[in-house]
Parts: sequence; C-alpha cells; structure tokens
Amino acid sequence: MNNDVVVRLTDIHKTYNPGGLKVHVLKGVSFSITRGQFVGILGTSGSGKSTMLNILGMLDVPTSGSYFLDGIDVSSLSDSEQATFRNSKIGFIFQSFNLFPYLTIEQNIEVPMIYKREAPRKRRARALELAKIVGLGHRLGHRPTQLSGGECQRVAVARSLCNQPAFLLADEPTGNLDEKTGNEIMALFHKINREQNVTIIMVTHNPLFEHHYDKVIRLRDGRIVDSFSDPLPQEPAQS
Amino acid sequence: MMRLSDIISLSMLNLRLHKTRSLLTSLGVIFGVGSVISMMAISEGAKRSALSQIESMGIDKIIVYSKKPVFEASGGSSSGRSMQNSAVERYGITTHDEEYLAKLENVERVTTVRNTRQSIIKGQDRLDLKLVGVSPCFLEDSSSKLASGRWFSPADYQDAQNICVIGANVKRKMFQLGSTDVIGGTIKTPLASFKIVGILKNDNGTNLPELGSPNDLIMIPANTDKNSFNGYVSESSGRRSSKVVLVDYDILMIKVRNLEYIDNTSKRLANFMEKSHPKTKDWDIIVPLELLKQREATQNIFTIVMSSIAGISLLVGGIGIMNIMLASVSERKKEIGTRRALGAQKLDILNQFLIETVILTTLGGLLGIALGVGLSEIVTRFANMPTIYSMVNILASIFISSFVGVVFGTYPAWRAAQQNPIDVLRSE
Repeated sequence: MNNDVVVRLTDIHKTYNPGGLKVHVLKGVSFSITRGQFVGILGTSGSGKSTMLNILGMLDVPTSGSYFLDGIDVSSLSDSEQATFRNSKIGFIFQSFNLFPYLTIEQNIEVPMIYKREAPRKRRARALELAKIVGLGHRLGHRPTQLSGGECQRVAVARSLCNQPAFLLADEPTGNLDEKTGNEIMALFHKINREQNVTIIMVTHNPLFEHHYDKVIRLRDGRIVDSFSDPLPQEPAQS
Repeated sequence: MMRLSDIISLSMLNLRLHKTRSLLTSLGVIFGVGSVISMMAISEGAKRSALSQIESMGIDKIIVYSKKPVFEASGGSSSGRSMQNSAVERYGITTHDEEYLAKLENVERVTTVRNTRQSIIKGQDRLDLKLVGVSPCFLEDSSSKLASGRWFSPADYQDAQNICVIGANVKRKMFQLGSTDVIGGTIKTPLASFKIVGILKNDNGTNLPELGSPNDLIMIPANTDKNSFNGYVSESSGRRSSKVVLVDYDILMIKVRNLEYIDNTSKRLANFMEKSHPKTKDWDIIVPLELLKQREATQNIFTIVMSSIAGISLLVGGIGIMNIMLASVSERKKEIGTRRALGAQKLDILNQFLIETVILTTLGGLLGIALGVGLSEIVTRFANMPTIYSMVNILASIFISSFVGVVFGTYPAWRAAQQNPIDVLRSE
C-alpha cells in the first residue's frame, strides 16, 4: 500500500520575509496522493496554492515539514539531484504553455529527454508516440507560433509525459484557453489519467472542473479547509 | 546533464534565431581579429622583403663605401678658391685604406669596386650607365650569376684586357630584344671600348650603396680600369665641366672569416677609417648583419605594439559580447526558468550560455580571419606590397577568439545559471 503513495506532505510551513515583514503563507499543510489519482488543489489567490505548487515542483523548499516523493525525502537531495528528480519524476505543465518558440513541436517534446541524455533516435520515437497520444502526430515539424493555444497545451502535455514522471504538475492549465478548448484539455488530462494511470496534480482557482478530480484539496489562507477523496470515479472516462 | 552535441546544436539554433544580433555582437571580434591578421600579414611581408634585401648584401660582409662630402655641393662659395682645388676633387676610400683593411684580422678578402664615371656611347647618344672596375671576386661576393659567357680570368687581369661583363638591364638598354650577338659586341666610352664576354643573370644580386644592383652595371677588370682611366675621371663629362674627380675605390666588400667577431671587426674597421679620414666623413659603413639585428629589434617592438592593439580590440569586443549576453540572459529568464523546471541542471544552463558565447566569438574569429586575408589580398593587389599570413597566426586567432568567448561568456552564463525558476512559474 505504501508503495502507491506518490507524494506525502507532512505539516508543511512556509514563511517569507520580504523586507523584514514575516508572511506565513503555508500553515501546516499535510496530505498524501496515491498513484493514479487526479488531484485538484483549489484556492483563490492568496490562499498559498502557488507556494504549494512551487514546493511540490521542488522549485522552492518549505520552512519546515517534510516532503516525500516516491518514498524519498526531497530535502535530503542536493541541488543537482533535485534537478535530476524534477526531470524524471515531475511533468510540468504551465498556464502559458512555456514552449520554446524556436523549436519545432517535436524538439519541444524532446527537451526533458535531452536533459536525461537520451539518444536522439529514442527521443524522436518517443516524441512521435506522445504527439499521437495528444492528437498532434501530424504536426511534429511545426513551430508553436503556428499552433492554437489548445494545441500548444497539448504539446506541453506531451512534453510533460516524455520521461514517464511520477506525477504531472499542472498550473492553471486552462487559464489561458477559452471554455471549449479548456474542456478539451481537461478531457485530455482525464483520458491520460484513466488510460495510462498517470497521477495528475492540478493547481487552480477554477472550481468548474471539480467533477474531474478524484481528490480535491481546498486551500484557504495557508490551510486545508476541505479535502475529500473519491476513490471510485463516478463517471467513466469519455473520449 | 545534456550531451555536448545537444548543447552545441541548441546554441547554434539560438544564434541563428538572432542572426543580425549575433553578427553585430561579434563585430568587435571580427574587426579585432581581421585587423590583427591583416596587419601581421603586411608587417610579415614588409619584414621578409627587407630581410631579403639585407641578406642579399651577404651577412658575412662589411661594406665600406665612398661618400661625396656634403660641403662640396655648395659650388658658389668655392669659386673664389684656387683653380686646382675646384678642378680636382679627391675623396673617398684610398688604395692605402684598402691595403690596410685587407690585412686586418678576421678579414678573408676585400673585393673592390670603382666607378669609372665614364659615359657610355651608343650611336650618337651618351647613356647614363655605370662602368665599374672590379676585383676578381666581385661575381661571387655580389651574389651574381652569369646568364651566358664568362667571368674574367686571372690572365685577363694580368693583361688588363679591354673586356667587360654586363648586367641584364644593361643588355636591355644597349641591345635590341633578341639580339644574338651581344657577347662579342662592344661597349664604347670616349676613351676606350670593351669587348663583352659575359652577361649576368637577371637576379637580385647585392644592392650596392650608391651604385645599385649589378644588373645595372658594366664591369671591367680593375687593372683594365687603371690602365684605361688611370684613376682619374671627369665628372659629368657630357657637359663642359672640367672638374676632375679622384676616387680610388667606391666600394669595398669585406668578407670576414668568423661571423662571431663581425662586430669587433667592423668597429676596428671604422676606427681605422676615422683616423685615416680625420677631416671629412667621405666614407660610410654598412654591416648587413647589424642591419638585420636592428630590423629584428624594430620588428619585435612592432609586434609588441600590434599585440597590444589586438589585445585591446579583443578586450573591447569581449566586453561588448558580455554586455549583450547579460541582456540576453535577462531577456530569456522565462526560457531559463522553464528549462530548470523541466530538469536542467544549473551546469546545463551555464554550459548553454557559455557555449553560445564561445561559438559566437569563434565564428567571429573565423569571419575576422576571412576579413584579414581579404584585406591583405587587397593590399597586395592595389598597394603592391607583399603580404604573408602564417598558419600559426590563423590558428592562434581561432584559439584566442574562442578564449575570449570563455573569458567574457563565463559571467553571463553564471548569472543565467543563478536565475530563480520560481519567478517564471508564478502566474502573471
């Protein structure tokens, strides 16, 4: 059972000291996420969800508390090991896609594999495979500027999956998209979650997609105010 | 960690993305390297031609030559003096000097040259060619070679034969192109005529002070000169001037035995000449080896100056590149943050920016070399100056421009690696 816990946070505190003024952003947050869960971390701005995202993404360290990723205490890792961990365990998806405009779609998908020193041949095969999964197999040679926002986010999803991470960490992935495209992207996440058993953590202020999540963690003022799990999905995957 | 090939292709991609900016950025290095290469090529060319000129005089020789004293030029004031003084003008190296110098330690032999100052007659014209009386070793000591015919034999000297050997340019001036009867022909002066027995090869022989290249001379045996003209020559005999010039020897080419002591020998030689000619400095001395050394010393100073200029221009170019790269780092913060989130090590980011800078400066260096080579070709073609670029200079330029990239790329690359990825991920 323990093997299936991907993320375990225990009593996470985070304080900032901008100009001597102490700001307590996270005030003792604890939760765990098991493999295959689709988790939504919800909160309004100022609730501490951005800080939560940074800590989960190993871009920031908590002031106190422990973070275990795949059974390993992240705080024990060196800067370089953390980078390696980010590369292999976490698949980042950003609100504004963060694709590299000068790279082709294929090259964009390959970036995390480049940092993993994968051979070019293997990278290309994997990029093609993932592009097909997100429905962009025919556009590998294009550049991000030639794609719509929804298509860009699909590329980002493909990129996040390429190293078979422990979980995808999505930051407002539909924030820059219209409602229809947003729904399509959510459906894509849903499909990946159901079909490939990929763990997804989505940080958002948007309560609209709550029905997609197996687990919802609601943050307010640095604390979890509400958390519920839905071990059995009520509606089956539609695709 | 990224593979090196991936870093390089990524850097190339980034540079190609900003072609104009990359070009402008590396302009400093391009011009720096370009000017260094072309200046080096020009100075190397100038050095070689100067050296070959000096070397043609023979580095194992000391050359002493007669110089017309300066005050003789003011003819107006000398009119009041006695007729004898103005009619006979005696100056320069004497027979006595030659005899003494030939006996000096470390002197192997002395080759003498005397300008007879006779005019040469061709039909009705008098040509301004130089007829010189020379000693037997002249051919060898002036580094000349015969194109056809022969040099003077000992018997020719003994009998003071009226024969001559002419330089290639003399042949060109005296005879029509393609004449076959040059050897056996005659050279005429108002007092005597000489049968041509040999013609010199058109080579750059020793450049003789006041006389020029052997190519422009008509040579007769010294003894013949003595017999025919008796040491006395009238200057500018073409005009109605009665002035008589008496010069025993115009040039002594003194070959030394041991090159190591050439300094000492030339000093003793000069000392003697000073004592022998106490009133006027009607002689001068050239030590080709010394000229060579001086030339090299000048060259070294020139090289130091050149390298400092090169260093400064590369420094300026490097600072320019650093500036642009720093701007590029802050412009690409988002890219850096994203790469870090996707798993780039700090070292990956550092390498990416560093290699980008090194490629930029190295390509700049290559363009600079092309520019430098182009410039020196232009100089060669239009200014008619020889230019020589060495492989060493070119390789050194490539190495140095890469090195400039490392030196001035490290700080921006380090700054890039220190960027905090959180800044990027915070939603706008």
